[in-house]
Amino acid sequence: MMAQTEFEMTENRPLSNAKLAVLILLGSETMLFSGLIGAFLVFRMGNVTWPPLSHADIELPRIVTGFNTLLLIISGFTMFHALRSIQQNRKIFFLLLLIITGVLGLFFLTIQGWEWLKLIDKGLTLQSSVYGAIFYVLIGCHAVHVLGAVIWLAIIIGMAMSGRFSSDSHIGVETCTIYWIYVVALWPILYFLVYFA
Amino acid sequence: MIRHIVLWILVIGLVISFLPQSLEACPACKNLNEPIARGFNWSVLFMMSMPFTVFGIIGGSVFYLYRRTNRNLKT
Repeated sequence: MMAQTEFEMTENRPLSNAKLAVLILLGSETMLFSGLIGAFLVFRMGNVTWPPLSHADIELPRIVTGFNTLLLIISGFTMFHALRSIQQNRKIFFLLLLIITGVLGLFFLTIQGWEWLKLIDKGLTLQSSVYGAIFYVLIGCHAVHVLGAVIWLAIIIGMAMSGRFSSDSHIGVETCTIYWIYVVALWPILYFLVYFA
Repeated sequence: MIRHIVLWILVIGLVISFLPQSLEACPACKNLNEPIARGFNWSVLFMMSMPFTVFGIIGGSVFYLYRRTNRNLKT
């Protein structure tokens, strides 16, 4: 029996090292967010009135954030289709979808920042109460992850423009897509938990 | 070696059987009906489930991909 070449061994590998690394990263991210959600549950269930009486006049912008949620979910679809496009070697469409995804991610961050400024104006800050602290830490932690995903995507767009990806070689796009979809899938859970619970 | 292990298990079992003491495991949960205690309970249950969920999903994905690759190699 002929020994397998290194190329064949890599081809036959069920899971690439890069994808496994991203899965482990996402596992640790899940533990981080579950810790934060656990803290939120303690504060939420420990208080009979939520928001606390000191912030009873502050209403979180549910409709604008709902629209923002929609933008992020659409970006998940565009990112997924960008991956499908490069798998089918449709490079122009792939680049276009990547740019649309990045723009949607930036829109999400901008709207989020704009909402935060309005809330700070109303007196809800990180130091104002437990309510403010858990809101900014939980939502802020997700926003930092979206920012990280946007930076990663910008690098991928740069590489795509220089023709680094093809239908045979696109592991960078695959890992970025996994991360992006994770960040997108996490947001509706946080949105309903923080804005509606 | 096995005799030692069995002996130790017996000794520990006897100690546990003859010295039952009730302990307050959580200093925060004095009364389970209080909202804060319910919050702690749900939080602990949620966080306890996460390692199993994470390892289950990662392990399940790896297992599924290995099975699929092996099946493809055989055909």
